[in-house]
Amino acid sequence: MPPAAREVLALLACLAAGLAASQDFPLRYGQAPSAYKSVYSLPIAVAQRQGFFRANGVDFRTVVPLDGGADRMVAGLHDGTFDLMHIATTFLVRANLAGSDVVAIAAEFGNPIYSLIARADVSRIEALKGRTVGLADPGGSITYSMRKLFARHGLGESDLQVKTIEGTPSRLGCLRRGECDAVPLGQPQDMLAVAEGFRLLGRSSDVVPPYVYTVTAARRSWAAANSDAVVRYVRALAAAQHAIADPNMRPAIAATLAEATDVPLAIAESVLRLYAQPGPRVIPAQAEIDPQGIRQVIAFMSEAGQLKGPMPDAARFIDLRYLQAAGIR
Amino acid sequence: MLAAAAARAGAGAADHDEPGPDDGPVYFGFVKDVSGVPVRDARVTASHKDVTFMVKTNATGGYRFNVFAKNVNPGDVTISCAKPGYRQARVFRYPLPRDKPVKSVETECRLQREKS
Repeated sequence: MPPAAREVLALLACLAAGLAASQDFPLRYGQAPSAYKSVYSLPIAVAQRQGFFRANGVDFRTVVPLDGGADRMVAGLHDGTFDLMHIATTFLVRANLAGSDVVAIAAEFGNPIYSLIARADVSRIEALKGRTVGLADPGGSITYSMRKLFARHGLGESDLQVKTIEGTPSRLGCLRRGECDAVPLGQPQDMLAVAEGFRLLGRSSDVVPPYVYTVTAARRSWAAANSDAVVRYVRALAAAQHAIADPNMRPAIAATLAEATDVPLAIAESVLRLYAQPGPRVIPAQAEIDPQGIRQVIAFMSEAGQLKGPMPDAARFIDLRYLQAAGIR
Repeated sequence: MLAAAAARAGAGAADHDEPGPDDGPVYFGFVKDVSGVPVRDARVTASHKDVTFMVKTNATGGYRFNVFAKNVNPGDVTISCAKPGYRQARVFRYPLPRDKPVKSVETECRLQREKS
């Protein structure tokens, strides 16, 4: 090849590299309907509203399959519907053990606070004996934490009339209709319920050790082949979580939460005050995954009878390379 | 107001509730093949800005979205359809009323079977 032609090719290669560097990485992020418009969408909403994805060169799009439970969501990773997804750690463990190569690449929420909210005439947990309680998925961490709370007050599940009701809004509905005497509610519905006159009896955070509640997950193989995009995503998520913890950002974050979850601003501000209280972090500082928090989830699942045989190693469910590449320990 | 807000606000990732009605018009319609036969289990997407919602069609090829707020301009919502073995041939939106509030937006999506 003549030297001039080689120079042209080299220049074209440089131009192509420059163009690629200036283009955003497209990322499709799957979010279950239950998470969309919930408080658990806050870090992503902040990253979008504050421009953290754009600043890190990510062309970010949220995909919400309305017919999707956790299994459908994991299938969405495998059939290419989306690249990353939001998932509760228990469901990730279940999917991984069933053969998927899905792993956590960043933590979104840890140590959720579920409030046990009761009718106004129920003044203490012991008074729920023989009454109807609406609980979530029997194998999930919400129900696990409520069992712990009841046990601390001398109640076993046989002491209660238990209904399985999926979703905080549905459980609040059961309470409002008078069909449930008590239910666990997340934010912001627990605060709305108390404002309506219902009574707060206790919180999940009083009885369970720290754990990793929800994560961003990817197929291990896909993440390895798209590591640059994943690292950019992790940086944006970490920036959002840092902003949520920044007192100077509180008004902007409250406005985002109110908008993202369709609640009044005052309720959103109350939620942020609750999350800022001393104790285990509800939202990680910078997307870090604590392997001990994953081990705790495995222990929950084992205690609930969902895992047979020896407990699996937490390392199987996480891939820390992208956090490390983003400078996060 | 608070009750409506609570009903709309979703639950945790361990729960499974769809977003509730969001005050905006219902986006609905049918997916058919080019000869007019309904296509079931086709994936229909409704996209607005940086969010895409997805559903599958029922046995009559029908779909329905009730997820956009009333301040979303229907002209900014893009409907598309797909199914393995087909390509999207045409998307047709029925005209919206000009002199009254839009309560529903009907869009028909046609698929053409790909030649094997």
